[in-house]
Amino acid sequence: MLRPYQQRARAMGATSPEPVLRGAYKEGFHDDIRAIHKVPKGPSHEVIDYMCDVKGEPAWMRAFRHRSLDIFLKHDLPAWMPGLRDIDYDAITYYASPVEKSARRWEDVPAEIRRTYDKLGIAKEEQKLLGGLGAQIDSEMAYHNIQESLAKKGVVFLSCDDGLKEYPEIFQEHFAKSVPPEDNKLAALNSAFWSGGSFVYIPKGVKCDIPLSVYFRINAEQFGQFERTLIVCDDDTFCHYVEGCSAPVYTTNSLHSAVVEIFVKDRARCRYTTIQNWSTDVYNLVTKRAYLYKNAIMEWVDGNLGSKRTVKYPSCYMVGEGAHGEILSLASADKGMWQDAGAKLVFHAPNCTGRINSKSISGHGGRASYRGLVQVNEQARNCRVQVNCDALILDPVSRSDTYPVMEIDGDLATVEHEASVSNISEEQLFYLMSRGVKKEDAVSMIVNGFIEPIVKELPMEFAVEINRLINLQMEGSVG
Amino acid sequence: MTTGFTQQTLEAISAGEPSWLKSQRLSAWKTFEKLPLPTRRDLEWQRFDIGALKLDKVSLSADEPTIHERLSPLSAELGRKGVIFCDMATAVAKHADVLKEHLGRSIAADEPAKFSALHAALWRNGAFLYVPSNLRIEQPLEVVYEFSGQNTAGFPHTLVVVEPGAEATLVQKFVGGPRVGTNGAPSIHASGTEVFVREGGHLHYISEQNFSPNVYDFTLKRARVDRDAEIDWVLGMFGASFQRYDVQCIMEGEGGTSFMYGVGVLDHHQQFGQFTRQHHRTGNTTSDLLFKNVLRDTAISNYAGVIKVEKNANGTNAYQANRNLVLSKEVRCDTRPILEIESNQLRCTHGATVGQLEEQQLFYLRSRGLTPELARDVLIEAFLDPVLARIQVESVQQEFARLVHEKVVRKA
Repeated sequence: MLRPYQQRARAMGATSPEPVLRGAYKEGFHDDIRAIHKVPKGPSHEVIDYMCDVKGEPAWMRAFRHRSLDIFLKHDLPAWMPGLRDIDYDAITYYASPVEKSARRWEDVPAEIRRTYDKLGIAKEEQKLLGGLGAQIDSEMAYHNIQESLAKKGVVFLSCDDGLKEYPEIFQEHFAKSVPPEDNKLAALNSAFWSGGSFVYIPKGVKCDIPLSVYFRINAEQFGQFERTLIVCDDDTFCHYVEGCSAPVYTTNSLHSAVVEIFVKDRARCRYTTIQNWSTDVYNLVTKRAYLYKNAIMEWVDGNLGSKRTVKYPSCYMVGEGAHGEILSLASADKGMWQDAGAKLVFHAPNCTGRINSKSISGHGGRASYRGLVQVNEQARNCRVQVNCDALILDPVSRSDTYPVMEIDGDLATVEHEASVSNISEEQLFYLMSRGVKKEDAVSMIVNGFIEPIVKELPMEFAVEINRLINLQMEGSVG
Repeated sequence: MTTGFTQQTLEAISAGEPSWLKSQRLSAWKTFEKLPLPTRRDLEWQRFDIGALKLDKVSLSADEPTIHERLSPLSAELGRKGVIFCDMATAVAKHADVLKEHLGRSIAADEPAKFSALHAALWRNGAFLYVPSNLRIEQPLEVVYEFSGQNTAGFPHTLVVVEPGAEATLVQKFVGGPRVGTNGAPSIHASGTEVFVREGGHLHYISEQNFSPNVYDFTLKRARVDRDAEIDWVLGMFGASFQRYDVQCIMEGEGGTSFMYGVGVLDHHQQFGQFTRQHHRTGNTTSDLLFKNVLRDTAISNYAGVIKVEKNANGTNAYQANRNLVLSKEVRCDTRPILEIESNQLRCTHGATVGQLEEQQLFYLRSRGLTPELARDVLIEAFLDPVLARIQVESVQQEFARLVHEKVVRKA
C-alpha cells in the first residue's frame, strides 16, 4: 500500500532513488536539453577565456576573473567548515549554456526549456503576480522580463551579464565591493566563473511594490552554477526580490555557489526572500551580503529546505547610522542533508539595530546547524541586537547545533542571544490528540506552528509551498 | 621552541613515585613537546594578547616548591571514619591504589592541549580528598594554594573522590603570585582539579582565584558525575593578568545534576578566557550554568560554552547563560554559547547577553538620594548577587563579596 506522498510522487513521475523521502521531491526530474556551450571539466584559466569570449566581456572583467581563480586555487576553506572536503572541484563543469541570450518574451524561450519550467509550475501566468520574472537554467538566464509599469519608472531588472553591458557605471561601482574575491574561497570561485543571476537597480524614490522573482534551475549533471546577483536600491526606495531553485536528482554531486551583493542606500528598504529547494546532491555554498546606509532597512528571509549541504549566512553590514538589519532563517534538514545556515550582523555605525530569528527542524538523520556572528565595533555606539534561535529535533538519529559568536567592542551595545533545542513536547501532542486530532496531524500542526513566525513573512504562494514541503518531510516521522 | 621546562625536572619531581605515575607524566610530556604554542590563529586564542607569554623565560626547579598548600585540619573523628584529606605527596606515598584508579582519568596525558599536557607532566603539590560511602561532612574543608617565587611556574593538582551517598564541601583558594621578575616575564600557573562524584554523592565545590597581576593562569577543572549524584560549583575569578578557565562536567549516570556558577570581575588589562563544557553522556541528566562577568577599563573576556548531548541521552535538561556587564568603551567582550545536540528527547536552552547599566535604574536610585557612584556600585553588586547567593559557606560568601566590592568600588 502506497503512502499518499508516494502516490503523489508516482503521479508526478519522480525518478528519485529514495522513494521514502525524496519521492516527495517533485522537482527531481531532469530533461534532455542540448547545451550550446559546454566546456571541459575542472576550474581553469582556459574556461575563463572561453566564457569571456562567448559573453564578450570587457577587459577588466576578464582580468578580475583570472585574479579570482588564482585566489581560489591558493586559499583553503576555513577549518570550521567541515563536511566540504569531499567536493571534487575537478569533476565539475564550470560553464554550460543551452541558450545564446536571455529572452524578453516567454515565447522566445526554447521550447524544451519552457517545458521544464512549465513542469516546475513557473509559467507565463505567474508573471501577472510578479513585477518581473527571471529564469536561469545552468549557467545562463533563459528569460528575464519586467512589467511595463515598472520599466517606465526606471526600474532595471536584467540578467547580471546584461547589467554589465547596459549599465556599466552602476555595475562597476558596486560589483565585488561588498564581497571581494579575497573574502573566502567560495566567493573567489564564484568571482572567477560567475554567470547569470540578476542585476537590479531601483532609481531614487521609486517603490517597487510587486516582487521581482527569479528561478534557478540546474539541469546538467556534475555541474557548477555560479550566479551572481547585484541589487542596488538607491535612496528612498523599496524592493522585494524573491528567488527559488531546484535541480534533478542524480547520483553525482553538483555545486551551487552564488554571490549576492545588495546595497541599500539612505532610507531605502530591501527584502530578499529565498526558498532553497535543491536536490540532495547539490552543495549549496552561498555568500550573501548587504551594505546598509543611513536609516536603511534590509530583511533577509531565508528558507532552506533542500541540498546535500548548505553553507549560507546572509549578512547585514551596517555602515550608515540608524540602519536596521533583520534576518529570518528557516532550515529543515531531512535525510542526507546538513543545513549549516545562519546569519551575520556587523555594526560599523552608531544607533543601528539588528534582529536574527532562526528556526530549524531536523529529522530522519538530518543535521541542522545555526552559525551566527554578531560583531559590534567600537564606533558603533548605542546598537541593539537580539538573536533568537529555536531548534526542533524530530527523532533520535538527527542532530542540531548552535554556534553563535558575539564579539563586542565598547560599552554602548546591548546584545542578547537566546537559543533552545527541544523535541515535540508530549504534553502538546497529548492535548491535541485528546481533542481528536490524529497523531500525524498533531505533529504537523505543532511543527507548522513552530515555523509560523517565519512562514508568515513569505509571499502567499511560497508559504503554501513551504507548508507542503514541511508536511511531506514530516510524514513517516511518527512511529 | 625552547622552554624553561625540561625532562630532567620531570624526572626529579617524579623521583620515588610509582612507575605508573611516572609513565603517565612522561606520556604527557611527549604531548607537551609535540604541541605548538597556541597562536592568535587558533579560534580560542585570537582575541587574546599572549605575546608576553614566553616559556623560555620561565624556569622550574625540582628543589624549590613554588606552591605551598595549606589544608584545613581534619578532625580525628572524621579520620577514624575513613575520610582522607591530605597533600598530594602524602597521598602518593600512602594511597597510591585510590590514586591510580582516578588520577589522569579526566585530565588525560594525551589530551591535545598544550597547557593541560604541561600540567599533567609536571604537576606537584596539591590536595587529595576522599569521602567514604554514606558519610556526610557538614564542616567545609578548605585548601589554600600559595604561589611564590620569580619567573617560575606552579602546577598544583587536586583530586576529589566522593563515594556513593557521601556529601562534602570543598573550598579551594588560589592566591599569591610572584612579583614581576627581572626579565619582565610572567609566571605560569596551571592547576588541575579532577572530581569524581559517585552514585548519590554530593559535592559542594567553591573555587576562588585571586592571584597578583603578572600571573598567567591556566585552570582545568573536570568533574564526572555518576547516577543520582550532584555537584554544585561556584567559581570566582578575580586576579591574574591572564586566565584561561577550562571547566567541564561529564554527566555519566542517570539522574545526575550539575549546577555551575561563575563570577568574574575584570579590570585594567586583565584577559579572561572561560571555556565551559556540559557533556551529557547519559540521559535524564540535568546541568545548569550561569557565568556573570563585569568588565571595566581595557579588559578582555572571551566566553565559550558548549552543551554537548550524545546520542540517546534522552531526557537531558541543560541550560547555559552568560551575562556580561560592560562598564567602559575600551572593553572587549566575546561570547560564544554553543549547542551540539544528537538526541531528541530533551530540552536545551542557552542565552548570552552583553549590556551596560540601565539609565532608568541609575536614575531611580539617584532619585532616592544615592550618589551616581553609589548607585552604580549597588547595581553592579546586584548584578553579581545571583551567583554570590549560591555560596553556601558564609565566610567564603563574605570573602567573595569583599573581593567584588574592592574591584568594583575602586576609584578610577
